Amino acid sequence: MAPLEATERMKEASPESGKRTRTVRRRRLWEGLRPYVMIAPAMAGICLFVMYPVVYLIYLSFYKYNLMNKAKSKFIGLDNYHHIFTRGDFYKALGNTAAYTVGVVVLTMAISLLIAVWIGKKGRLNAALQAGIFTPHIISIVSVSLVWLWLMDPSLGFLNYVLKALGLPASQWLQSSRTALLSVILVSVWQGVGYYALIMVAAIRSIPTPLFEAAALDNAGKTRIFFRITLPLISPQLFFVLIIMTIGSFKVFDTVKIMTGGGPNDATNTLVYYIYSFRTTNIGYASATGVVLMAIIALLTLLYFRLLSKKVYYQ
Amino acid sequence: MVKRTISLAMTATLLAGLLAACSGNGGGSNAGNANAEGSSAPTASGSASGGGKTTVQFWHSVGGKNGEYLDALIKRFNASHDDIQVVGTFQGSYDETVTKLQQAVSAGTAPDVSMLERAYVELFADSDVLEDLTPYLEKSKMSADDFNAGLMGHSVFNDKLVSLPFNRSTPILHVNKTLLSEKGLSVPKTWEELKQTANAMVVKTNGEYSRYGLTMPYDTWYPIALISQADGKFFNDEHTSLGFIDNGIGDKVFQYLKDLQKTGALYYPPAQDSGNIVNQMFVEGKVAMMFQSTGTIGSLSGTVGFDYTTAFLPQDKKYASPTGGANVAMLAGSKHKDAAWEFLRYLMEDPDGGLQFILDSGYLPFTKKMAESQQMQDLWAKEPNRKVAYDQLQYAIDTNKDVAWPEIMHEFFSAIEAIMYDSKDIQSTLGTFKKETERILAE
Repeated sequence: MAPLEATERMKEASPESGKRTRTVRRRRLWEGLRPYVMIAPAMAGICLFVMYPVVYLIYLSFYKYNLMNKAKSKFIGLDNYHHIFTRGDFYKALGNTAAYTVGVVVLTMAISLLIAVWIGKKGRLNAALQAGIFTPHIISIVSVSLVWLWLMDPSLGFLNYVLKALGLPASQWLQSSRTALLSVILVSVWQGVGYYALIMVAAIRSIPTPLFEAAALDNAGKTRIFFRITLPLISPQLFFVLIIMTIGSFKVFDTVKIMTGGGPNDATNTLVYYIYSFRTTNIGYASATGVVLMAIIALLTLLYFRLLSKKVYYQ
Repeated sequence: MVKRTISLAMTATLLAGLLAACSGNGGGSNAGNANAEGSSAPTASGSASGGGKTTVQFWHSVGGKNGEYLDALIKRFNASHDDIQVVGTFQGSYDETVTKLQQAVSAGTAPDVSMLERAYVELFADSDVLEDLTPYLEKSKMSADDFNAGLMGHSVFNDKLVSLPFNRSTPILHVNKTLLSEKGLSVPKTWEELKQTANAMVVKTNGEYSRYGLTMPYDTWYPIALISQADGKFFNDEHTSLGFIDNGIGDKVFQYLKDLQKTGALYYPPAQDSGNIVNQMFVEGKVAMMFQSTGTIGSLSGTVGFDYTTAFLPQDKKYASPTGGANVAMLAGSKHKDAAWEFLRYLMEDPDGGLQFILDSGYLPFTKKMAESQQMQDLWAKEPNRKVAYDQLQYAIDTNKDVAWPEIMHEFFSAIEAIMYDSKDIQSTLGTFKKETERILAE
């Protein structure tokens, strides 16, 4: 930058006025362009790896696409979308995804908030607890799913062994369409709680202590302190967690792929797994479903920002 | 500071313990595949060194022990051919290979020869990416009649010979004869006998089944076998709809299965990993009979501790069984077609090629010459269970051949799950399935 500025300064000093205006104009042009030049590398990446794939996805969704022989691809307009909205299994997958998302988000938020309040105070025991609770998050979801798959085996699994030992009726867990989705939710919550609890602990610890001291002086009860001080002051983090988790849950795939394969009888078939299952046979249909999923997530995020951002208390 | 060090140490110990536990568990189940993948790697490096050699890329889907047998075959081929180097690459399961092949074809990086699960052959042939092998066959003085007719069902597409059988199998009845003999029962030959025998084998203790009569993996293969036995066809002759719904055969087949399931005579396994689950149950004597691929005969006869025998799938109106396994095909985009054909010819004809692989692995001999060979006759004399599988081939029939089959299979699985897992009404479930099939076929 430095040598360039130096030459420009030299040009400014030149006595000829015509030349000078030209330099000024050139400088203005450069100043106008500079921000774009600066972000060009990042934008090139985004265009190549985000924009182009999205546009291509939308393009594919209008075709009965033949991956191997493009000459055999057929433009079919909105037929793929028409199929999506007339097929029962799409609504089933959508319903499962919604149920899964609500289940995971509500349970994870509630449990991690409880844990965060519980271990919010600094201390040796709390640090150890926090480490323990956080551990599931750093294990690969594949290992987690496999281990739970065995725990949940109806005849040989540990969970049913415990249930029977306690004199409770055993469950079919993943093998019955009534309990399968709940079982998958359970595993996701178990894996996610530690991470979100960590975010909330950090949030709670960032609340200025004089606020709590003042409340204590005023003889405020614990619940009152929680709802009037803690909750509003960590609302930005809660809001962030809510959005991240909703989007993440809508895209759930790995647990379903490993634990149930979408079954039994589509009981755990979620949108992304639904898209995946059409990968070899109908790329166009899978793309159209991908576009629908994108629209749903965009809509949800927009809705959250509209409705909830007013309730968020930014310091 | 001290506090932080302590908590850090604790975290680390916790993590280490958990990670160790997980990696130990995860590793065991994948060991077979990992081996196969590793063993094919060294061959790849050899291709660069041979100056005038033509390199033929070959993708396949057999891992584990069979993968080693196939690698040995490739090594034998390379040793006997100075001018051709075949590079075999294990690409995962049949489905994974298909997905990768689709992408590779569209990217122009497809191999010269690939293994293709037989039901996917039409999908590729329809996209015109498979080479017609008829002229090559003629050049080598071979003909389609050299092959076992029952295994050629997926080879011809629009009058073109687009693939040849290689590692093929059929479903067969596996029997724990020790258990049957305890009750003085013989191996069932008809649906009726199967029902009685399976029910007689059921043991119930404390309200739970501790032994079942019959089981089968979660697959479309077995319902299709039953449909053919009841004299039905999967697709109708015009390929516009299903051929087993309107004539009531679908109802009959699934009602038969549900009746068995109700009394514990049939254990229908969960979809995930069903093949291993039923094999395990059979080995442990928790089920007396099993519909399962011929490909398991080798490993079962090595592990079971009882009198183990195989038999034809029981008949209803007739004996019938679909076929499975994979074919080999040459990709039309190959640049070394003559070299690729030489490899295919070696697989089909040479005693060191296909025949040795079949003898090693236990897949079905696919040419008449192979079946008549002395080595095969000797093996059958020693292991009659394998001969039963070959003899059943005379009843082999595949009625689910269509370009749209992979897509329709997806719908069929949905119907099977609805009926077998959730006891949904058979008639209405099959009705929905038929409607979806007609829509797909009409496209």
